[in-house]
Amino acid sequence: MSSWRPSASAVTHLYQQSRAERWSLPVAVFAAALERSARKVFVTPPEPRDLERLLGSLHLEDLALACACAGGHEGAWEHFVREHRPVLYRAADAIDPTGGSRELADSLYGELFGLVERSGERRSLFSYFHGRSSLSTWLRAVLAQRHVDRVRSTRRFEPLPEAEPTPSARSEERPQPQSRISAYVQLMRRAVTAAISRLPAKDRLRLGCYYAEDLTLAQIGRALGEHEATVSRNLAKARREIRTDVERQLREEERMNPSQIDECFEAVVEDVGSLDVSDLLGAASDHPDSSGSPGSRRKDSRDKRSKERPEGASA
Amino acid sequence: MPERDRDQSVERLLRRVMSDDVTPLQGTCVDGETLAAWSEGSLRGAEASAVERHVADCARCRALMASFVRTTPPVPVAESLWRRWHLAWAVPLASAATAAAIWVALPDNGAALLTPAQETNTLTRDERRASPSSAPAAESAPAPAPPPASASAIRPLEEKAKLAESTNNEARQRTDRSASREFADRQARAAAPPVPQAEAPAPAAPAPPAASVATPAAAAAERAEADSKKEVAANSGLAPLAAARQAFAPNQIVAADGTTRWRIVNGQQVERSTNAGANWTPATITSTDALSAAAAPSATVCWIVGARGVVYVTTDGTRFVRVPFPEIVDLTSVSATDGLAATVSSADGRLWRTTDQGKTWSAGR
Repeated sequence: MSSWRPSASAVTHLYQQSRAERWSLPVAVFAAALERSARKVFVTPPEPRDLERLLGSLHLEDLALACACAGGHEGAWEHFVREHRPVLYRAADAIDPTGGSRELADSLYGELFGLVERSGERRSLFSYFHGRSSLSTWLRAVLAQRHVDRVRSTRRFEPLPEAEPTPSARSEERPQPQSRISAYVQLMRRAVTAAISRLPAKDRLRLGCYYAEDLTLAQIGRALGEHEATVSRNLAKARREIRTDVERQLREEERMNPSQIDECFEAVVEDVGSLDVSDLLGAASDHPDSSGSPGSRRKDSRDKRSKERPEGASA
Repeated sequence: MPERDRDQSVERLLRRVMSDDVTPLQGTCVDGETLAAWSEGSLRGAEASAVERHVADCARCRALMASFVRTTPPVPVAESLWRRWHLAWAVPLASAATAAAIWVALPDNGAALLTPAQETNTLTRDERRASPSSAPAAESAPAPAPPPASASAIRPLEEKAKLAESTNNEARQRTDRSASREFADRQARAAAPPVPQAEAPAPAAPAPPAASVATPAAAAAERAEADSKKEVAANSGLAPLAAARQAFAPNQIVAADGTTRWRIVNGQQVERSTNAGANWTPATITSTDALSAAAAPSATVCWIVGARGVVYVTTDGTRFVRVPFPEIVDLTSVSATDGLAATVSSADGRLWRTTDQGKTWSAGR
């Protein structure tokens, strides 16, 4: 019979596996946690076999620990502090080495303890842990989530960049050299965007991680379960495909001849608006005062990274 | 327009386009728990694919994943053997170099140390998951023997020390393991010598024309690594080995004249000494990408390579010029004969050579 609720024998077996007796956790509390986990995963009541498979795959010891901590068991809480609090703080330091995320880690710690009052009740953040990952991974992910959401909410108050004129608006103007460059750049942006959208999701993810998030090849590999050499190869392949696709679009859809296509690619390099100093570094690194100097490149990179850094943290 | 310039244009556009904060029209944003389960492979097939599709297009969730990944301890991921078949020839060489260097470094303890070395040998024949340093160590086969020796010898000893610590709590073990993995991983990336200690003495013998500096990582990881090393040394009673290891850990690039030296500071700046390391002055180079290795064929010429295909060269000893490089790939070693000719190798074992200071590069194995 389909149900989210595991059988009594299954609960007993899982309870033993979880070593929940260490924390004197009532079996009923543990059974309720198992059911909560099942409801989180299955929209409709699962078949007993599916339920058994899910419950067997849970991180039961961590789930029992979370239940005991949420219930205020002192021994469990001490165990958590000893084992997992350092994980939380290490993760905070990794997210923001300047210490800006420590405050987030502390507030998270408070919520785990159950400082948040909800309808008169003290509810611990632990009740949101369903055992689908290890407790330490969950903590790191929740911390990352808080961090990103805080950064993004801060960014909402930053002034928006001046909107770039649309190509149609530009086409009415006299074709000044600079406006022609801008038009070409807009065209190239559209072409690249279209080419990216035609790539498989994993390629898009790799490109985003590399170009937007500034992750290293090793970090991307860690996220996707690939070796960094594989990431490197796949990125190179995706770039080749994008270039080929863009050239095809310009040739077939925009009816451009080879020299016009060349102009399009050159426009991207010439366009001041899209100045990416890292690309110019090769040509300008021997002129420290120029815009392509290593110093300005660092600033460029720092600006890019600052997207992820809360203002409060960097202040 | 040359092919390479078109590639640069595409790169530049990718940086702009991928940074656009676009939220996808469909799919729900990922919460912490789902991300955690996804990262551990606990999600069911369809669920995992949906998360992947969403994260690929949602700037917020991609940023979340990036933040999360930064907190993730490094775990080596195996690469298919057939993909790196071209490195297979170097494995026996690296293993032989490892054994020989341990014998040279610590003749008294040679017998005892051969066991871990042999273990390493076995490990390198296994998949990369067993020893992330195997392939890059193999790449460095042409380099002098001592550095790979230290790099390879450390791992088994750390493993043994960890076994001895089995009574420690689980989180502690995880930290140590991850720290040592990161340590090994960095050494692997550095290709030639091991990660230098901050206060490591300069090598007495002429150093190989390459040096490495650890990629900058989170401060916590650094501390964990340092703690790990201390514990390993203390618990295993191998302080002499640690000292020997430090002695073989060059963090300076010594030019042929023996008095001119360069060193990579914080992975991103370079300093030069003209009096055998007594005084250091900064060179005009600042890189946001981690610099990993250098080669100094003469007192005024020095090549430096690093992550994302950065290559610099100086021909006057102080001012470094960025050399164009055809690919964005992490470079891990360089050897050079003068200001024009150099050979660089990447983390995935590929080689490139230039004879005109980077105007053209030829790829080779």
